Amino acid sequence: MPEKNFEILEHTADLGIRVKGRDIKELFINAALALFQIAAEKLPAVSEEKHEIIVNQTGSDMEELLVNWLNELLSLSSAEGLIFEKIQVHNISDKSIEALVTGSDIRNYKVNCEIKAATYHGLKVEKDRFGLTAEVILDV
Amino acid sequence: MSENVPLEKIDDFRWRIPKSYKPGMRVPGLIYADEKLLKDIYQDKALEQVANVAFLPGIVNYSLAMPDIHWGYGFPIGGVAATDIAAGGVVSPGGVGFDINCGVRMVKTNLMFDDIKDKIKDLVYALFSRIPTGVGSKGDIRVSEKEEKEILVKGSKWAVSKGYGVAEDLEYTEDNGAIEGTDPDAVSERAYERGRAQSGTLGSGNHFLEVQVIDQLFDSRLCDEFGLTLGQVALMIHSGSRGLGYQICEDYLKNMVACLQKYNISVPDRQLACAPVNSPEGQTYLSAMRCAANYAWANRQCLMHLARLVFEEVFATSWQKLGMQLIYDVAHNIAKIETYIIDGKEKKLCVHRKGATRSLPPGHPALPSKYKNTGQPVIIPGDMGRNSYLLVGAEKAQETFYSTCHGAGRVKSRTLSTRTTNLNALLKELESKGIIVKASGRETIVEEAPQAYKDVNDVVSIVHNAAIAKRVCRMRPVGVIKG
Repeated sequence: MPEKNFEILEHTADLGIRVKGRDIKELFINAALALFQIAAEKLPAVSEEKHEIIVNQTGSDMEELLVNWLNELLSLSSAEGLIFEKIQVHNISDKSIEALVTGSDIRNYKVNCEIKAATYHGLKVEKDRFGLTAEVILDV
Repeated sequence: MSENVPLEKIDDFRWRIPKSYKPGMRVPGLIYADEKLLKDIYQDKALEQVANVAFLPGIVNYSLAMPDIHWGYGFPIGGVAATDIAAGGVVSPGGVGFDINCGVRMVKTNLMFDDIKDKIKDLVYALFSRIPTGVGSKGDIRVSEKEEKEILVKGSKWAVSKGYGVAEDLEYTEDNGAIEGTDPDAVSERAYERGRAQSGTLGSGNHFLEVQVIDQLFDSRLCDEFGLTLGQVALMIHSGSRGLGYQICEDYLKNMVACLQKYNISVPDRQLACAPVNSPEGQTYLSAMRCAANYAWANRQCLMHLARLVFEEVFATSWQKLGMQLIYDVAHNIAKIETYIIDGKEKKLCVHRKGATRSLPPGHPALPSKYKNTGQPVIIPGDMGRNSYLLVGAEKAQETFYSTCHGAGRVKSRTLSTRTTNLNALLKELESKGIIVKASGRETIVEEAPQAYKDVNDVVSIVHNAAIAKRVCRMRPVGVIKG
């Protein structure tokens, strides 16, 4: 896993993250990796097998797309028992994303917290000097 | 962080956010709290969220907040909102939340503290090894796809038909453990997939199973009616609909964001996305939500069954002989269609309880005959170091659409709690109070440390004094298992 590319925001019941990216592609990759870095710590591998899944998502704008993208990854992770480690974005616009995500068996990880979903509450994606910054509140 | 929200004092336990606070509010906000709790409530954005909920089309009387209110996403946690269906009232998946029918049940025993005091550790370890806990935990109760559909329709009845409990348990579960109006075809494949392996699992976060001892009686007549006395051992289980519920919420929330434009609805937060109850989108959401609610009731029924088996093993006698009867099971994240008299007219309302418990008064027709005189048992879990409560519903709760608080309510974020809590010191402190804790992850224990919560005693005293529920007795934990 790469270095942490996000910071945690305080929220009474849940957990907020602030993520940066030089462009939309990097923002979406960093936000996705943040979820799994928060949720799980790597253990010595019990299974070397890697699973690749193509993910397609749409949204009416970049903010909605970001929430849909993160929720699809959380849902896939829970349904398939995988922790995603690598994200390759093939196509992305403000309204759609196609990516190849690579995950490894959840048994290779110690799972510290269950992220139920990413929410629209307080959702922000802003342009700044760095590129793009997003804030998302996660239901944990 | 809510210091800009104006509050008008109505009485010592009721505060109003005037409708004039934000253009777009259709009704005022009403917060149940006293000055002490308000200090905590002001610390986060919950009051702002109470004002935001007041934007929902069709909302009746007030956007309500219970004393355990804290900052959620969309709705505050501890929020109640009822919408008038005939007047275009909406249903909002955010007003139920991701963990649909997260709830709690209380089981009594005829054991006294003295009977278990030397066995608490064995009991806790046995419960922990038998009951699947933790993130994504999978249970021994495995179901086929066809059976899963059956669970979504029959709820706890499915569990009882499999031998995980007895018919009497159904009588003492809200909606008899199976709300009507489900449509298993409204549930996505992914939701089925996420739910299949998780039946009979506790989950993580604030979910728990606790062995408790009654340490204070408030109303001896009611305690007698429930067969509860000082020093008696009880069991409390807090869990929900697991991955299946999260997926249903997510699927429909996505759908309802598009409804905002379609039905020309304006809300200040997309997480409050909603659709009229009488719209295809509203109806499909409700029928899918009910499936998750039934799944959650079946889940708590299975968890209770597993706990009964553990008690049988540890005490080498049957659970019936141990008097392990279910007192009641309540949902605290749900939307229900209920009938109320509003301005002299009978109206069908969609009541959202997001971190709030139904609180039916004595004599209410929805009560089982055993509780017609007492009112509905209301079960309020606190944090793992202090207390939990058994209350009953009260007539005055009509003003809250028969709702009351659901717990202590967080006051510290999970990250702050983790930063400021030393695990070993906490475990020692709990052990010195006679509380044995076993959890899948150390993170859960520090995140859920007692100091992260308001004092449930303060919260309960508000709902009791405001007469929207009545205190019966108080419990203290002696054994805690968590995810």
